[in-house]
Amino acid sequence: MAVVERTVGTKNTVTKRRKSRLGAGEGRTAFFFLLPSLIGVTLFLVVPIIASVVLSFTNWKLLGQPQFVGFANYIRLFTADPQFWPVVRNTLFFTFEYLVLNIVISLGLAVWISSLKRGQRWFRVIFFLPTFTPGIAVAIVWMLIFAPDGFFDFIMRSLAIHIPSVLTDQNLAMQAVIVVSLWAGVGYNTVLFNAALDMVPANYLEAARIDGASAWDRFWKIRLPLISPTLFFGTVMTAITSLQVFDQIYVMTRGGPGTATATLGYSIFQKGFQNFQMGYASAIAWVMFAMIMVLTAFQFWLQRKWVHYDN
Amino acid sequence: MKLSLILATAALVGTSAFAIQVQAQDAPVELKWQMWGDQQDQALWQSLADLVTVEYPNIKVTPQISGWTDYWTRLPVLASSGEIADIVAMQSMRMPSFYSILEPLDSYFASDSFDTKVFESSIISGLSHDGTVYGLPYDVGPWLVFYNRDKFKAAGLAEPALDWTFADFKAAAEKLTVDGNYGYATQAFDYISGPVALGAEYFNDGNQFDVTNAGYADAVGKYVDLTAVDKTSPVFASGAGAVQASGRFASGNAAMYIDGPWSMISAAQGADFEMGIAPLPRGDGESRFITAGSGFGVAAAGKHKEEAYKALKVLTGPKAAEILASAGRALPGRLAEQHFWYDVAAKDVKGTRETLEYSFAHSTPFRLNENWNEFENLITQYMPLALNGDKTTAEVLSDIQSQLP
Repeated sequence: MAVVERTVGTKNTVTKRRKSRLGAGEGRTAFFFLLPSLIGVTLFLVVPIIASVVLSFTNWKLLGQPQFVGFANYIRLFTADPQFWPVVRNTLFFTFEYLVLNIVISLGLAVWISSLKRGQRWFRVIFFLPTFTPGIAVAIVWMLIFAPDGFFDFIMRSLAIHIPSVLTDQNLAMQAVIVVSLWAGVGYNTVLFNAALDMVPANYLEAARIDGASAWDRFWKIRLPLISPTLFFGTVMTAITSLQVFDQIYVMTRGGPGTATATLGYSIFQKGFQNFQMGYASAIAWVMFAMIMVLTAFQFWLQRKWVHYDN
Repeated sequence: MKLSLILATAALVGTSAFAIQVQAQDAPVELKWQMWGDQQDQALWQSLADLVTVEYPNIKVTPQISGWTDYWTRLPVLASSGEIADIVAMQSMRMPSFYSILEPLDSYFASDSFDTKVFESSIISGLSHDGTVYGLPYDVGPWLVFYNRDKFKAAGLAEPALDWTFADFKAAAEKLTVDGNYGYATQAFDYISGPVALGAEYFNDGNQFDVTNAGYADAVGKYVDLTAVDKTSPVFASGAGAVQASGRFASGNAAMYIDGPWSMISAAQGADFEMGIAPLPRGDGESRFITAGSGFGVAAAGKHKEEAYKALKVLTGPKAAEILASAGRALPGRLAEQHFWYDVAAKDVKGTRETLEYSFAHSTPFRLNENWNEFENLITQYMPLALNGDKTTAEVLSDIQSQLP
């Protein structure tokens, strides 16, 4: 026993020594290999991030010299701006509804596709198509469909359904934006979940079937827990992108009518590039960042309750 | 010896200075010209750029065209990163936000005794800020009512008089709202140009926004009622902007809408009916109209400002105005060349010359400040709530006012 321990000990020291030699000799080489991406990350990520922190404390108007204004932008944001709280509420509303519907629909589609005997590949491609269609193009087409007296209104009229024109109605406008976002965004999660479902070992399902588990039980008790890491990934990514929603709103509603569809992402654009208040827009961007971080952290905390990892 | 040395040095300096001057005059200069437009406008702007080279063989102007919306997002970014072109296109309504990137032109005018009287006076003041001129115009125009003559005839309505009142306008809109079609198609800017024509002001005396004042609220309310109460117009959607009204007009779904001469030719070409134009309806007082237009300025940060100024004068000169006017691209800011637009481009539209001359004769300064963009965005975003009856005009205006500095 003692001999074994000693041998192991010697081995460890040998490995350690070799490691440190590796570090000394090749660390520099590794550094130079990493340098290109390090420069890229610094220039295009670190510097802009720091710059936007600094900007959020100034009144920079894109033109002219910025002036330091302390916390004025943040104070205005939280206390004076009548648009801010509706915008936060809209962003959370959009994220919640979109996230739930997206996960439910894409999971449903994924299960359906994986149950098909043939044509699985075709359906995957069909549902994935909107994902690589440019968001702006998608939004423009949908805007024309939903426009007052457009195709959608025509269909509703033909069916004798009397609803107000969606893009000019305070409540329906956000629903229209969510429908478009779902159309464009469901495909990605569908393919993701479908791939995960296909990875579920067939022998588990077969064993369960022999034991008499119903299809319903097999789904909730075997397949769903086994794909939960993928489901978690899909949920987190979808939540982050939906908190940043911009394209659809820019094209379809410009935040209107009123503040009905104004979200944080759109507010940043509007304040920064239309009203030329870059400092103020940077402050909103940091609030958005904080929100995304808190919600993502919350999701990571929550995952301990429902995500099962193999090991 | 000393003297001869001094003389020799002086002679040397003199000749080299002369040589530099000669070289400077002849050295080829390449200027970049930032402009908005569609692909189809490219050739037109290029033909203007070529005029500069014909006049000054050493100056070559290259147009850089981007879409209208992108142009205004790009401009401040290019300006603040030092990438701005030598000649910059500018719209009068955006001058208060951007004058600082342009060179004040008054000293240039003084140096070659250039007289801006050859241009329509309202657009020269539109391209000025605090009394200093920052650009020369290529087009100008007041907001006007575009109407479908066939529909007026079918409804038995007399064509609008030059001094028609809001009551006339409303009566026409009501009478023209038949068979699922509308008398009028409203859009965001109507709530600016319309109330001004009725005599209202959106600013206080200090040139700051005061959109809740009784006069403006009343005038906006009149226009809102056309949609909210009388249902003579559909509600416009905040996202689609101006495209909808012109589309409805062209398809015959709406008999009237408000736009400017800059879109008149495309509206007339898109219409398979006879089109007419009339001034905006007046209130109880005299007619008064705001005008807008666009032009070009010299970038303050440019390296070749002298050459850019020379090019600017060609680009806004008589020949350029003739080209743009005949093509229907613009009603020239130059008074002497306006007839090319009336007689060539606008010959099929009824009432252009009388209407525009009447409008210019009754033009009122277009009051702007550096928050103008914000105001226009808010109007676009909030006005639909008043139009669909979700909020009253007063509520919407106070929402807008609360967000303006």
